[in-house]
Amino acid sequence: MSDEPAPATEAGDDTLTDAVGVFAPRGDELRTIAATAVVLALFPFVFARMPVVSEVLQGYQSLATLILIWGIFALGFDLLLGYTGLLSFGHAAFWGSAAYGAGVFSQHVTGSPVLMVAAGTTVAVLLAWVLGFLSLRRGGIYFAILTLAFAQMLYYMSSSPLAFITGGENGFTGVETTDLFGVIPLEAELPSLLGELLGNGMYTFVAVLTLLSIALAYRILHSPYGIVFRAIRENEQRAEFVGLNVWRYKLMSFILSGLFAGIAGSLFTIHGSYVPLSSLYWTESGEVVIMTVLGGTGSLFGPIVGAGIYLYVENIVSGGHPIDAIAPFWHLILGLVFVVTIWTFPRGIWGFFRDVRDYVTGGEDR
Amino acid sequence: MTLLETDGLVKEFGGLVATDDVNLTVEEDERVSIIGPNGAGKSTLINLITRRLDPTAGDIRFKGESIVDRDPHEVVQMGISKSFQTASIFSELTVRENAEIASLAAEHGSFGFKFLEHRDSLTDVHAVARETLDAVGLLDQADRTAADLPYGDKRRLEIGIALAAEPDLLLMDEPTAGMSPEETEATVDLIEEVKRELGLTFVLIEHDMEIVFRISDRIVVLNRGRVIAEGAPDEIRGDPDVQEAYLGGVDL
Repeated sequence: MSDEPAPATEAGDDTLTDAVGVFAPRGDELRTIAATAVVLALFPFVFARMPVVSEVLQGYQSLATLILIWGIFALGFDLLLGYTGLLSFGHAAFWGSAAYGAGVFSQHVTGSPVLMVAAGTTVAVLLAWVLGFLSLRRGGIYFAILTLAFAQMLYYMSSSPLAFITGGENGFTGVETTDLFGVIPLEAELPSLLGELLGNGMYTFVAVLTLLSIALAYRILHSPYGIVFRAIRENEQRAEFVGLNVWRYKLMSFILSGLFAGIAGSLFTIHGSYVPLSSLYWTESGEVVIMTVLGGTGSLFGPIVGAGIYLYVENIVSGGHPIDAIAPFWHLILGLVFVVTIWTFPRGIWGFFRDVRDYVTGGEDR
Repeated sequence: MTLLETDGLVKEFGGLVATDDVNLTVEEDERVSIIGPNGAGKSTLINLITRRLDPTAGDIRFKGESIVDRDPHEVVQMGISKSFQTASIFSELTVRENAEIASLAAEHGSFGFKFLEHRDSLTDVHAVARETLDAVGLLDQADRTAADLPYGDKRRLEIGIALAAEPDLLLMDEPTAGMSPEETEATVDLIEEVKRELGLTFVLIEHDMEIVFRISDRIVVLNRGRVIAEGAPDEIRGDPDVQEAYLGGVDL
């Protein structure tokens, strides 16, 4: 991403800027969001329906949706890992608790997708507040282990003591999602051109929330928080000694990343109409770390790209495409992709793209 | 007015007494240097004042208020800023961003919920950062990554960060350590300029006697954690105790 200084505001924009004040879009914000919207609108078509390309890729609609859901999760995780420099190994707690929260909410209150996301995200944010408060007392590896321990406690809780709510080993099967705003069925194909481009209502709903998540993350990174997070990553002690309350900023970083994990986890429940017990397991925490590092920490879009590649190998390569013989070894392929990427481009795939662009344009912005 | 005051300050590490009953006062608009041989407890004293270390006994008052129960960031918010002995900067950030972090903390407090406001709207922060970079002579390099600066400039940036926090009292821990003679000269000029233009009160820890005698109003000599002499540069220069303990009897 580039964030050159804001170009001079054109005369016509002044009224808009006055009306919304500090929340007015600035600099590259609108351009970035508009470009993202175009990519999100074209993605399922190119991936699942476009002649030739989709045949080469062997992509399908519901995988496109899943990539965006994990993309939101990884994007929020990068706020914590890439920007603030804190490695959590327990983010399954927020993803999983939001997934259960949204599921239980749909069974007992309402199956409105929007409200399910709101409910699941609220659960994740409150949990992130509590676990962040407890885990951030220690730094480095101790912090990582504390988050892992808390997440595994939740996994245990939902596997048996709370099985009467969560369904235990069987997972939560009582998800009852209704139509979006009561009129748009999520699984049915959209009419004409919309159907060709976006596919179904489910993808559209996820894509809109992805766009909102990216806009929110972009704004956070360009707010005072963005610079404070990076300062803490670079030199925590110095940040404290310029007069910043480092502890509270770290907690906010943790809670905000929990917010994104919550949005993603809730969408995962709506997408699958089911919450597996494994959504709280530590491997989910590990996957989001791998996706984020693979795509490129410290960037807005890298983690989403990382999520895409990870899920592609997990779902397509493992199914025997492009080479049937390597299908049983897809875990190995994933490991190789990860190792080679990190050896060759330590800043991940997005970091590599950025370096190429800087080399070509001779620029050094980011 | 008394800005900073320590009252019977003691710090023990195990059996070692690093700070031994120190009673120090710093008046407003005063330039005080703390000198002493290696291990005299100079850095410990600074670390106690900035709340990096907890005192074993005694009290520290700033503007008449005790600060021993405060967190380091609260002490900075009250008006005590510190420049570190090494170039403690935010390496991967630009020079401008380095200054902006400090001015953000100064203008908007230790914490806020402004995660939805664009940084471009914080004009006060940008203005302070700009003034500071101008003052330390780094404005023309504002868009460089801090890690790419030569060592002397990193140290100037370090002092810049401390200044951008808009302190009432600036503590400088060996601001010229590790600098070449030219860089040292430039830094002393910078300190004298800051002294003249901002009228800042500061406490300086320094090894270089030439610098100390040039820019101090008053000198405090520490040895083994105790204050052994205190006075104007000329008095210290002639003090036999100081020559014995610190300067090894060499006539200055």
